[in-house]
Amino acid sequence: MTGADTEARVAGDDSALVARLRDGDERAFEEVVRSFYPSMLAVARGYTRTHAVADEVVQEAWVGVIKGLNRFEGRSSLRTWVLQIVANIARTRAVREARSVPFSTFDLDADQGEPAVEPERFRGPDDPYPGHWRSYPTDWRTLPEQRLVSTETLELVKHAIEELPESQKIVITLRDVVGCSAVEVCDALGVTAENQRVLLHRARARVRARLERHLDA
Amino acid sequence: MPEPLGIHEHGYTCREIVDLAAEYVEGTLTANESTLFELHLNFCDGCLTFIDQIRDTARLAAHVAEHELPEPLRADLLQAFRDWTRA
Repeated sequence: MTGADTEARVAGDDSALVARLRDGDERAFEEVVRSFYPSMLAVARGYTRTHAVADEVVQEAWVGVIKGLNRFEGRSSLRTWVLQIVANIARTRAVREARSVPFSTFDLDADQGEPAVEPERFRGPDDPYPGHWRSYPTDWRTLPEQRLVSTETLELVKHAIEELPESQKIVITLRDVVGCSAVEVCDALGVTAENQRVLLHRARARVRARLERHLDA
Repeated sequence: MPEPLGIHEHGYTCREIVDLAAEYVEGTLTANESTLFELHLNFCDGCLTFIDQIRDTARLAAHVAEHELPEPLRADLLQAFRDWTRA
């Protein structure tokens, strides 16, 4: 399937869904509320100081979504549009709380300087093979699947994600936990494709490093 | 670990591969970069493993349980939706 086909399919699905919502279809509404909740919460938590405030942002966003439903033009997916509303409300709250807003220039610059893997893992400039691994990472695919996807490992991944800087946390949650596309994330958060990718890379690299310490132990 | 094989002839160092891994996984390298990248992977089990680990990290994140919609919020939102429908 080509990208254009996928887009047409998604837009098609959405227009039927939007029509049901506009008709007051409660089951459609509950379905959307439930399926959008994890991504909305991820965006809201990224911008707000407490989980309580994030919950308020999600609720406020839904009020805005309901009121704006008749103005939704389908230029993006419904989820993207809803996430944009969440991000806008959350940013406004963050400014009011005098909290630093993720995805500011400073935030991204700080991220760019961070290596994906500690430089000590690679051979130095005087080595015959500079920039090559000193010792290879362990092949996790030799581990039993039960060990890799164990409750303990998944808990570790969850904690590692929670400890990430806000902008990295939002991006990895939307992309990998929720399953949004790169385009959706860029549109929803107003970040460039390049920045989205850098943030995802840093986030995955940090979580990978935590997994490595855990699985190699 | 085996001695590195002809790394100098194959463009990228492992350190560079690690930095480009996200672009490779996301499919945003140019055709030329992609060729050089894969050439390196053909000769380097360490980098191949690293790429697998990045993919596994994303796969494991997808298994992390998502937050469930709290019941009071569901009820409140449904009420707001009903009010809007009837307005």
